[in-house]
Amino acid sequence: MNDDMSDESKSCSLPSSTEPTATRSTVPMWIFVVTLLLLFLGFAFFDKKGGWFDVRVYAPYNSSEELEAAQPKSAAAVAMAAGKKNYETYCGSCHGNDGAGKIAQAPPLSGSEWVMTKGAERLAHIPLAGLGGPIKVEGKDWNMNMAAMGAGLSDTDLAAVLTYIRGSWGNKMGEVSPDDIKKVRAEVGKAPQPYTGEKLMTMPE
Amino acid sequence: MKSGFSIFLAILLTLGGSWIGFVVAPTMQLGTAKLTTALVTGDTWPQQRTGEATLGQQIYRANGCVACHTMQLRQDGVSFEVVLTSAGKINPTAVSNLISTLTLTGLNKEAADIAADKISAVGGKTETHLTATGADISNYHAVRRSVAADYLYDAPVQLGSLRAGPDLANIGARQPVAAVHLQHLYAPSSVTAKSAMPSYKFLFEVRKQINGVASPDALNLPAEFATAAGYEVVPKPEAKQLVAYLLSLRADAPLYEAPFTPATTKP
Repeated sequence: MNDDMSDESKSCSLPSSTEPTATRSTVPMWIFVVTLLLLFLGFAFFDKKGGWFDVRVYAPYNSSEELEAAQPKSAAAVAMAAGKKNYETYCGSCHGNDGAGKIAQAPPLSGSEWVMTKGAERLAHIPLAGLGGPIKVEGKDWNMNMAAMGAGLSDTDLAAVLTYIRGSWGNKMGEVSPDDIKKVRAEVGKAPQPYTGEKLMTMPE
Repeated sequence: MKSGFSIFLAILLTLGGSWIGFVVAPTMQLGTAKLTTALVTGDTWPQQRTGEATLGQQIYRANGCVACHTMQLRQDGVSFEVVLTSAGKINPTAVSNLISTLTLTGLNKEAADIAADKISAVGGKTETHLTATGADISNYHAVRRSVAADYLYDAPVQLGSLRAGPDLANIGARQPVAAVHLQHLYAPSSVTAKSAMPSYKFLFEVRKQINGVASPDALNLPAEFATAAGYEVVPKPEAKQLVAYLLSLRADAPLYEAPFTPATTKP
């Protein structure tokens, strides 16, 4: 007890010359590094799991994309997705993945009068038989040759592709059923000759 | 006062900060919530309560039910199941052979897509079914989590924070029989043997039977809880309102925010 007292009195009676003073000193660099790292990790976690405050995103979904992907799809939506896949494989390289066509390669499909027909029968002849010679699309003249790109696809797959073409990029025409494709496939026969524009016009819509 | 302005500023920032955080931000986020549509059926969600059930909400509030019951279901995850709807005409044997080698239940989204693609490649047609998973989902026989839309007609929203009793977010779907709820309110242990819930006898009236005939509303109690012969237990309007409210508590329609495949659409 007495020792404690003496210790205290000692520390209190230090000479004023040794009084501690605050001086300027630089903040250590590692504090900035650690702070920035923590901020970065925090934001990365928020970006991954936070859903960016979307009112419709709840756990266990981490983002609106994940929630959208988990939605139960109708049969029509599934056909559209399958059609998109095949379109981008077989048609997109010339007609463009946006359906806008490519100069000196293929005419546009979006808004094309050959696509926006009431039924899909005339349209179905093109991928099944091919098309050659001069045609007019959306007021412009085209003179190209298209092979029978769709002849190798199954009825279901080609129907999905045509459904996709007729329902995308602003096109709003009805679905194409595999039965329609089957009918046209039988019409064009086993070894089809590419159609000309005039011959195609004689086909029912 | 020397630092009066600083104190004022500190109080303003503290209260203003919490006001912005607890009132303004949630109102901006959820204040414009509108009626939504249930998936599959296309019905509006949530469904408007009857007048009786709306009154019942105030009985629920007045009796402090929220102290022991929560009204919020959590969900840990989703599980996908690939269901074959048609083996197709091309090669049904190949489809059935393939099916026997694949895992089709308890999948995640990617695995379910891969399995569905494999089956469709050989000509089979599939549907992918979604099931909510989690402790709350299995403990309370729920089908999905609670979302903000479920509380649109609640004033006040009584989420609760303690589960001395079970969660009630989906009680209307779990126990749709009003008579069971009434008996449970009058004598909880007559329905659940070890129930910790107090009896809400004051919501009922014990009265003499008229000409020895029980009234249609009278509770049908087991012998050990029954009243003296010639007497009956009938619910007061408050009890009926509370039960109407309990029956209106449902979280059983699939919503965009919390999708699942309803059992009725499963083949």
